[in-house]
Amino acid sequence: MLKKWKEFFKNYDFSFFLVFVAIFVVASLNLYSITFNQSNAYLVKQQWIWFALASGVGFAISFVQPSAFRRFSYWIYGINVALLLGVLVLGAVGMGAKRWIALGGLRIQPSEFMKLSIVFALARWFTINSPVERLDLKGLFFPFLLSVIPAILIIKQPDLGTGGVILLIFTMIIYYRKLRWSTILKLSVMGVISGFLMYSYVLKDYQKKRIHSFIDPYQDAKNSGYNAIQSNIAIGSGKIWGKGYMKSSQASLNFLPEKHTDFVFSIFAEEHGFVGVVLLLILYFLFIFRLLWLSQMVTTIFDSIFCIGLLSVLFLHVLINIAMVSGLLPIVGLPLPLMTYGGSSMLVFGILTGLATSISNARLLF
Amino acid sequence: MFGEEDVVKSHLKRSFELSYFLIFAFVVLLSRVCYLQILNGEKLEKYSIENSLREQIVWAPRGKILSRNGTILVDNKASFNVTLTRQDLKNKDETIKELSKIINFTEKEISEKIKKHIFEARYKPIVIKRNVTQKEIALIETQLEKLPGVNVEISITREYLNEEVGAHFLGYISEIRSDQLKKLKKRDGLNYNLGDFIGQRGVEQTFDLVLRGVNGREYLEVDAFGRKRRSSGNGVYAGIKNLPPEVGGKLILTIDQEIQNVAYDMLKDKAGALVAIDVETGALIAMVSTPSFQPSQFAQGLDPDYWKSLLTNKRKPLRDKAIQEHYAPGSTFKVVTAVAGLMEGIINPKTVHFCDGSITLGRRTYHCWNKHGHGAVNLRSALRGSCNVYFQQIAKKLDIDVLAKYAKEFGLGQKTGIRVKRETSGLVPTKKWKLKNRGQKWTKGETLSCAIGQSYMLTNLLQLSVLYSALANGGKVYRPKIVQKAYNLRGELVEELKPELIKEVGLNSEWLKAINEGLHDVVNHERGTAFYGFDVEQIKLAGKTGTSQVVGFIKGEDRVKCDDAPYKYRHHALFAGFAPYDNPKVAIAAIVEHGCSGRRVVPIVKEVAKRYLEKYHPNVVKR
Repeated sequence: MLKKWKEFFKNYDFSFFLVFVAIFVVASLNLYSITFNQSNAYLVKQQWIWFALASGVGFAISFVQPSAFRRFSYWIYGINVALLLGVLVLGAVGMGAKRWIALGGLRIQPSEFMKLSIVFALARWFTINSPVERLDLKGLFFPFLLSVIPAILIIKQPDLGTGGVILLIFTMIIYYRKLRWSTILKLSVMGVISGFLMYSYVLKDYQKKRIHSFIDPYQDAKNSGYNAIQSNIAIGSGKIWGKGYMKSSQASLNFLPEKHTDFVFSIFAEEHGFVGVVLLLILYFLFIFRLLWLSQMVTTIFDSIFCIGLLSVLFLHVLINIAMVSGLLPIVGLPLPLMTYGGSSMLVFGILTGLATSISNARLLF
Repeated sequence: MFGEEDVVKSHLKRSFELSYFLIFAFVVLLSRVCYLQILNGEKLEKYSIENSLREQIVWAPRGKILSRNGTILVDNKASFNVTLTRQDLKNKDETIKELSKIINFTEKEISEKIKKHIFEARYKPIVIKRNVTQKEIALIETQLEKLPGVNVEISITREYLNEEVGAHFLGYISEIRSDQLKKLKKRDGLNYNLGDFIGQRGVEQTFDLVLRGVNGREYLEVDAFGRKRRSSGNGVYAGIKNLPPEVGGKLILTIDQEIQNVAYDMLKDKAGALVAIDVETGALIAMVSTPSFQPSQFAQGLDPDYWKSLLTNKRKPLRDKAIQEHYAPGSTFKVVTAVAGLMEGIINPKTVHFCDGSITLGRRTYHCWNKHGHGAVNLRSALRGSCNVYFQQIAKKLDIDVLAKYAKEFGLGQKTGIRVKRETSGLVPTKKWKLKNRGQKWTKGETLSCAIGQSYMLTNLLQLSVLYSALANGGKVYRPKIVQKAYNLRGELVEELKPELIKEVGLNSEWLKAINEGLHDVVNHERGTAFYGFDVEQIKLAGKTGTSQVVGFIKGEDRVKCDDAPYKYRHHALFAGFAPYDNPKVAIAAIVEHGCSGRRVVPIVKEVAKRYLEKYHPNVVKR
């Protein structure tokens, strides 16, 4: 028995969890620095509890065979969409938006988990349908439907950032699934048109304001422009070496609101400078490229697309969060994986790590 | 065909393309951070150190509160606060010392105020003293050079135009308490901060969300001394716009201030209360409680001496005697016993009982207030003379739970649901209640006491007015309403007075007539307990007097006349009724604490009824 375990762990891919823990350590120290002299200092403790839960769940999942993922894909997707519907109908109101649903004392955000569920559903779809040919517009119809339904449900909450990410995950997966370049051209035209329609009819006022304030932050009277400027000041004032740990002036002066959620990166950059940023980005980079590498090492098309899906989830969050706090994108409110305080988000990336590890382990078993 | 591994391999090209894209994205992020940190680092660091962009809150005025006639009850006025900004302090102790001389605070008091805000941003001004005088402002302005960090800021404070009159239900605003911060944040989803003012009592509290405005923001560029500097136009901040504050919504109450003043003036030197409601809608016309307090004192920061005087006053000025205090309703409750007797078929309007001055139950004798007895009485004359025996005869055949059922149908024993906090529910005892709360079985004798509004029976004044309003309008129990119209800050109507029927007591009109004739005779019959002479003004007031015993008759001492007893042992005097008798418009209940006899309250009620009818229903009052 013991020998069997030993054998198993010899083939166990610890790389994902290693990076996961490394980023968490950075995140925890950073959160402490942000909150230690504030009224929300208890967040660090809560973050540790969530970390324990997330890594526990992730670790357990790493022992599940990937074939099981494939089998239950649509179930996972279906349940999650049902939960999203539930949120819209009876979700608790928080921060002016309906995002949470209470499950036995725990408040979870189904929209966070949808980021993974969509990967399950799309990987399953493309496994069965047209694995060899290049994708054209017709082959896109059903998977597009799969993605756009939860995306709309999430945007209605309203959470434009997360809804958009679902569609971007879809985009990255279909690109990988050999989407024809001619189709890409057609899609971009459609995208521009629908974007225009969205702006005119779907977006709420505060979402529009964020876009305005992004285009011209200095002309905005509301808070959003002020946040963007303060965030830029925080990042920039860190210079090469940073101001030093727990020395962020922007944070302690309360210049940045929501600094433990959307703006964690700004404070990190302020305290640790360009050098710190490079090191942090390397950690994310390692995780992402390990997933890309894995997508080529696996033996089934499901596993391969699944890896690209997981990669998209992680990559898009890192890209969008850092781009928005550094002034490249409007503030849409998307977490920086593991760095941002948030239970559901932490759980999602714990599960993501477990899924990746499971696929990697399966590759070594055969 | 391909094997599955070959399918995977066929994606190799796309995976390479993807990796170029990923690398490109990371390079973009890094170059942006590089642009900020390395190329613009010096500049942004300067901004960060100077913190030259200040965000200042511009306090939004609260909405006004008006009476039904549009007279302003609560308004805003400008005031001046002395503030201190920690960041700009040069020599903290020196500044505090100088400041303490000007504003008459001890150095310790100032230090403690600063300490309270220690976790807040250092650039935020801390209010040290509110409502400073012109003289203090002048002194500070001339010594600003010597007082770095000290400033005078314009603020808004609440003005209660009628001060004591109606203070209890209008309420007041005061600074949010730290224990309220979290609770209210959760409740309202609003971002409250220390230093914010919120409604803490009365309609100021219940309609806080309607009344409060949205604070504005002002962005200032300041120099190292915290002095304002005009935006130079070349900084990163050029063009940031200020956000003007939005004035809160408007509240129009159902109260008539003129009637309110009449009631207050008549009760001013007593301890008591008066409630007047519209019998057709349940709208409150007047609600006063005396002695009262000055709400503006709360809004401007309480003077400790004033606070102490309120707390030590034996007549309890802070208690709202209209809703917060409950009393034994005494004889005013007899109408409920009458209704129960009629509905249960124990009596009819013609039933006659003989009152010889007492009634016996088992071995106990219960005395009527009139030792000589009322003789043969029917329902009408029993009410007129407030004969205890008549109603206790009914009670003999009545189960307490049945009596309680009718009392509750009239809204007694439960909160009326008026939108002012701190209302008591009063008490309508039942067998179950006694067993649970006293651990004893109900005795029949207690039913006899309850039937005349004594024993455990307790009501607040507002409940009594609702009860008499229901008798006046044919049995409709309305929820008392205080708001005529409420507008939010965009000027949209969010609430409007709509009569809300809680319950309709199915009363036979013949029975109701008998009861109301009795109530009419109380005031307008020579032998009525509240007869003061014939009704020359044709107000046609009908109602019932009541005496609420503060302590049970002390054995052997019940010969002592109420007026000769020490103040605190004197009975409360009650009157509840409506007018005009044949076309009721207004129901009024009033109490004078330790006033001995309900009869003495009648002139107060009469005056209020007269003024109201003259103003709103001149056609029903004969001139």
